[in-house]
Amino acid sequence: MFGNLFKKKRYIFEDESTMVVDLDQSAGRYYEETMSKLEIESYQGDEMVVNMGPQHPSTHGVLRLELVLDGEVVKKVTPHIGYLHRNFEKHAESISYNEVVPYCDRIDYLASMNQDLAYVLAVEKLIGLNELPEKVEYARVITCELNRIASHLVAVGTFGLDVGAFTPFLWAFRDREKILDLLEWLSGARMLYNYIWVGGLARDLPEGWLQKVREFLDYFEPKMVEFNKLLTTNHIFIERTAEIGVMTPEVAVSYGCTGPVLRGSGVKWDLRKDEPFSYYDKFDFDVPVGEGKFGPVGSVLDRYLVRIDEMAESVKIIRQALDGIEPFTAQDVQAAIPKRLRPAAGAEAYVRSETPRGELGFLIRSDGSDVPFRVKSRSPCFSNICMIDDISRGGMIADLVLIIGSLDIVLGCIDR
Amino acid sequence: MDFTNIAFYIFAALTVGSAGVMVFHRNVVYSAVGLLFAFFGVAGIYVLLAADFIAIVQILIYVGGILILLLFGVMLSQKLTKVDVRTESMQLVPAVVVVGGVLAVLLLTISSTPWKLAGSLEYEPTTKAIGRLMMTEYLIPFEIASVLLLAALIGAAYIARKN
Amino acid sequence: MPVLNANLTLQAAQFANLPETLQTILFMVLGAAIFAGAAAVLALVGVYLERKISAHMQDRVGPMEVNTEIPVLKNIGHGWAQTLADALKLLIKEDIVPAEADKKLHLMAPFIVFAATLAGFSVLPFGPGLVASDLNVGLFYIIAISSFVVIGIILAGWSSNNKWSLLGAMRSAAQIVSFEIPASLALLVVIMAVGSLNLGDIVAAQAGGIHKWLIWWYPPFNILAFFVFFVASLAELNRAPFDMPEAESEIVAGFHTEYSGMKWAMFFLAEYANMFLVGVIIATLFLGGWTSPFGDFLNSGPFPVFWVTLKAFIVIFVQIWLRWTLPRVRVDQLMYTSWKVLTPFAFVAMVGAGIWMML
Repeated sequence: MFGNLFKKKRYIFEDESTMVVDLDQSAGRYYEETMSKLEIESYQGDEMVVNMGPQHPSTHGVLRLELVLDGEVVKKVTPHIGYLHRNFEKHAESISYNEVVPYCDRIDYLASMNQDLAYVLAVEKLIGLNELPEKVEYARVITCELNRIASHLVAVGTFGLDVGAFTPFLWAFRDREKILDLLEWLSGARMLYNYIWVGGLARDLPEGWLQKVREFLDYFEPKMVEFNKLLTTNHIFIERTAEIGVMTPEVAVSYGCTGPVLRGSGVKWDLRKDEPFSYYDKFDFDVPVGEGKFGPVGSVLDRYLVRIDEMAESVKIIRQALDGIEPFTAQDVQAAIPKRLRPAAGAEAYVRSETPRGELGFLIRSDGSDVPFRVKSRSPCFSNICMIDDISRGGMIADLVLIIGSLDIVLGCIDR
Repeated sequence: MDFTNIAFYIFAALTVGSAGVMVFHRNVVYSAVGLLFAFFGVAGIYVLLAADFIAIVQILIYVGGILILLLFGVMLSQKLTKVDVRTESMQLVPAVVVVGGVLAVLLLTISSTPWKLAGSLEYEPTTKAIGRLMMTEYLIPFEIASVLLLAALIGAAYIARKN
Repeated sequence: MPVLNANLTLQAAQFANLPETLQTILFMVLGAAIFAGAAAVLALVGVYLERKISAHMQDRVGPMEVNTEIPVLKNIGHGWAQTLADALKLLIKEDIVPAEADKKLHLMAPFIVFAATLAGFSVLPFGPGLVASDLNVGLFYIIAISSFVVIGIILAGWSSNNKWSLLGAMRSAAQIVSFEIPASLALLVVIMAVGSLNLGDIVAAQAGGIHKWLIWWYPPFNILAFFVFFVASLAELNRAPFDMPEAESEIVAGFHTEYSGMKWAMFFLAEYANMFLVGVIIATLFLGGWTSPFGDFLNSGPFPVFWVTLKAFIVIFVQIWLRWTLPRVRVDQLMYTSWKVLTPFAFVAMVGAGIWMML
């Protein structure tokens, strides 16, 4: 009965014409013809197909890029993803709302606080929990911004590594280490914190922690000046980055790019300003955008500079939050945590928030039980990596490496 | 048998052996390696003939320039990534005719040349003498050669630019 | 054969009863062994220096643990034996050859690179008469012999049957061939000034203190030649910021991607031996070679060797310093540097110095 089904196959071509082939009669012939056409099309002349990754040193994780090269010039880039897929969304359907938080940590493991915050905000919206103790909100902002600095330090450090400068990488990691120490003191973990909970925080702020944060900021600002002297203002560095990987604002918007990648193209869009969540509307800070100081707007250098400037803005925000939290240090951070988390059946909430890599959105739907019916996450890295083919054609392998670095992808975030 | 003789036979064997590899090996890259050692052997023989400058020039020009360009050319050819780069053309009859002709000429030359033994050589700097000769007696051939090379360079640049 | 120097001939007395040919061969083997050993030791020192200097530039301390129980050496500390331990590890490491590689050439390539590097050492003057082979065309010989290194690198890249290796080999060939031109032109300035290709003569011309060094001759043309040669030598050494052939973030490890164990160690040692070679060449050509910077003060006994080694290590320090400070340039920028910056400046230096000499 089903025999015929498998013997016929419909091929759809690029010009939308279709062809039904009886595999019994012509499978071999048709396959050979198609393949020979493909062969001619894709491997012309001196072109060479190279597999970059998943074990390549500068694909920033287990990303695999299929390159078509002519000498060293990149003709085509096809990203292959999925090597780090961990089934986050399906897992979330079988565990309670609170238990999803540690899984969120692992989406983008370089900025776990920001991931947790995005998810927790979505759950709070779902259950209609709007009023939280001020201390909780300020602490959330401080930890998230610290984590943003840590994440951007990894981004600019590894970007230095991609350009071939090793020292900035270690300097960035030296300073990131100090942030990790602070967050470890807070949560007991160095990367996967599980600190921000629905309605509150996992633990109270340790005594003296806020003072240590202040000391870190005082230490960090001169170190950034030093870092910029070494890498950002280096002549070779600017020559390498200022004119490659140019992404126009139109391309960036149409691919759904967000975060520093979008702002690098000159689009002033930051959810902390344009759709404030938590206490972000209480702070005074700028949204740095790409200005194209040394070349076209939207170049690799612009995306890098946006991250550098954002770190300074984060320092500003943390300073204001440290002042803001002063009167509320006696509050109980777990006062507003709901005893029982069981949203109404059919309730649905979508919250997006600004993580270091862009817009992370969580869509949560409840079926009335204490387990989410569906959790969908919108990953910024996935949208950002999609346009890699568009902006890297015609460049060299060395440029492609910088473009990947400037997109600052985390494979955990792409694959989830 | 003194040291110079031993060294000569070593270099001669190296030259002839690697020239054989170069001619008979089917793989182009192996032929290039054969050529490398043949150049090296010839340079060694030049040293034994007290022609140190010529020996160094031999290595500098042939190994440092021509052989590298040759290998570069092999790698830029189409079968770039396959290890078995092989010579495929086998034109037996024309080859025998041409090689036979060349062999006859060479044998004639070898038999008719009055070979002089080097005798006791004086190892003294030759660079200055060569330089002086190039700038005096052989100035015109030297200049013609440079003009020829310049023409070749411009031609190569023109062809490369057109694509 | 006048390949052996006076010092070695002195020690030859005890072998006098052997046939002359055998003596010559013995001395050649002995001299080669001494220089190969010295080159390997200097390379190990270079590796250790690179680790420590880079570590201190990056707010680290570098290797601190590896030490020995031998009483005096024990007190040195600072992980001085780390490089030795690494060398031992590399000796016993499994040698992996890719299944589809061309095995013979894969084996031959590191030997060609290492042998060519060692061959360069044979003309370096380490003191008055202290040179393995006092060639009349010594400088020319070094330029020529270094082209074998390129051949070795090309063979390594091609025989590995890996596309990244091949890209690295092609980069290397293009780079070294291009930078040989400004480097050789810069050397011409020195050759013209001294009127000899012999490294011993070049050192002798600079005897008498720091103000007599070749770098100060015909200002500013010799200083220009010095800088051109230094930058070009960085490119020929594949050192940052011109480390294109092994750019780890772009083409994995370039030509030695598919090498492991001792074969890889030979590339590695050759790189550091080459650094020392270039250090000695720069010291000899521009910085007075083995002569003391203070005229006749401290200019005898073991001091010539000390001075030339010190000068070479200062050059190596600058190379290391640059490597850990600068980002890498791109291939086209590299070619731009060679053809449109260094080559014209080298010509300027050559013509300028030539006119100065005629005046």
